Amino acid sequence: MTLAAASDTTRRRGGVRALWAGNPQAVVQRGLLAARSSSWIVVLSGFFEPVFFLASMGIGLGSLVGDVQTSAGLDVPYAAFIAPALLAVSAMNGAIYDSTWNVFFKLNYGRLYEGMLSTSLGPLDVALGEILYALLRGLLYATGFMIIMQVLGLNLAPTAILALPAVLLIAFGFASVGMAITSYMKTFQHMDWINFVLLPMFLFSATFYPITVYPEPVQVIVQALPLWHGVELIRGLTTGALSAGMLWHVLYYVVMIGIGLVFTTKRLRALFLD
Amino acid sequence: MSDATRTHPSLDELRAEALEWGRKPRARGSWYVTEHMVRAMRAYGWTIVVGALGQPILYLLGLGLGLAALIQTDIDDGGRAVPYLVFIAPALLMTAAISVASEEFTYPVMAGFKWRRYFYGFNASPLSSPQIANGVILGATARMFIAVAAYYLFIWVFGAVPDPSLGWIAIPVGVLAGVSFGIPLMAYAASIEDDKGQFALVQRFIFMPMFLFSGTFYPLETLPGWLQWIGWISPLWHASELGRMLTYGPVDGAAAGVHLAYLLVLAAVGYLLGRRIFERRLAK
Repeated sequence: MTLAAASDTTRRRGGVRALWAGNPQAVVQRGLLAARSSSWIVVLSGFFEPVFFLASMGIGLGSLVGDVQTSAGLDVPYAAFIAPALLAVSAMNGAIYDSTWNVFFKLNYGRLYEGMLSTSLGPLDVALGEILYALLRGLLYATGFMIIMQVLGLNLAPTAILALPAVLLIAFGFASVGMAITSYMKTFQHMDWINFVLLPMFLFSATFYPITVYPEPVQVIVQALPLWHGVELIRGLTTGALSAGMLWHVLYYVVMIGIGLVFTTKRLRALFLD
Repeated sequence: MSDATRTHPSLDELRAEALEWGRKPRARGSWYVTEHMVRAMRAYGWTIVVGALGQPILYLLGLGLGLAALIQTDIDDGGRAVPYLVFIAPALLMTAAISVASEEFTYPVMAGFKWRRYFYGFNASPLSSPQIANGVILGATARMFIAVAAYYLFIWVFGAVPDPSLGWIAIPVGVLAGVSFGIPLMAYAASIEDDKGQFALVQRFIFMPMFLFSGTFYPLETLPGWLQWIGWISPLWHASELGRMLTYGPVDGAAAGVHLAYLLVLAAVGYLLGRRIFERRLAK
């Protein structure tokens, strides 16, 4: 300990240096190594959830609903309407799962972060590393889903390819906030509350029907929630109805990422270093 | 002092006394285990309450009302046209029971055998292994009943039950749906020695497809033929069809009999299997 403290004072001086060793890739690497021993079927299975939803809703409800008008005023088939939303939802779910349940176990049972923080890694390295690892998984799911969308003809414009970076942005936002919140959770029962937040967001964020079916005050609430911004952003990209207003969605996530990262770093520092 | 004066009881007397103490648990053992399971649920009591009340509200508002705004015309369900909300309400009720089953018949069973090993504790007492299985089932049934009853009241208040005179029977049918899905699941859970995320797979590859392809959100006939079989084997579809007959009719006796029989057979086969697996594993 004294040796570590001594090297700290020589190599890192104040400010962000105390939090950051510039080595989040070590944390990512550890995640990949550990993933080898986990069940790959379980990891892979996360990909199927949005696919099942798309098949069920797209085929079944699609024939009942017909065309739907997007917020940009475009009439698109129902499957093309919900597919981008499901992509955003799977980005959210993947990121939240990795940054809550996984982090919860590592934090409270595996005592993994304690170990990491007693090396040269700082809390920001750990936070960023875990989040980047969560993004890898998100990227994997999103790429698979995009291929399916392409095959089914649900990508209506070439800008659809931009949905991939957009998915990463969304996942980054949810992962960084999710990890910060998880640091407060002490028991399994606390973890159940995550579902109570995610389910309404999933159902109400203009996922399965346009937001215009709601009365005005409800619309305002929905628009304050992060998932709605993600759905709108990706839907704009895959349907090709671009507008400058979409930058607001991007900004929303940039702010969310910033807040989440600062928050997580502070929490890890308070839990393990102070 | 009193110890010294008392004569030592003979082996037969001791045996008789032990049997006397064991008699009550022998007779009521299932209920003792049920009590344990229900008491253990208090650890997540809030989750149960919020889940039982919150989920129906969310699904009904989110899917029922929202989609109803898109699907303006009535749903044609086997000759009878009903508003979309009325169409999906009974299916969502059955889903609520089955989702409780997918929780209560998985992790608590795994905990009893492997993580906290309380089943072995029960088994060391006069409780028999079938009684332990019964207790798990009854405990879960109690929770399912609460969830389904709350759901029913909610859809009834919401006006999604046009025919309340028969509609309330959807509550026991809901419990049956949960049991017919849950007991076979319990048998499977009891047979798992190593936790490799099997329950996550059950959730993704059995529960989710069942929920999505059982004619929950639209009549099963809407799906192409090569997908309809999922509904035919799924307890959710059979239960939803029963629920629809009961909440808005018309009741078709023959069809209802088939649906009911299918659910009962699933539960019974699952029970026989589960009992054997419990007995074998606890005897190890």
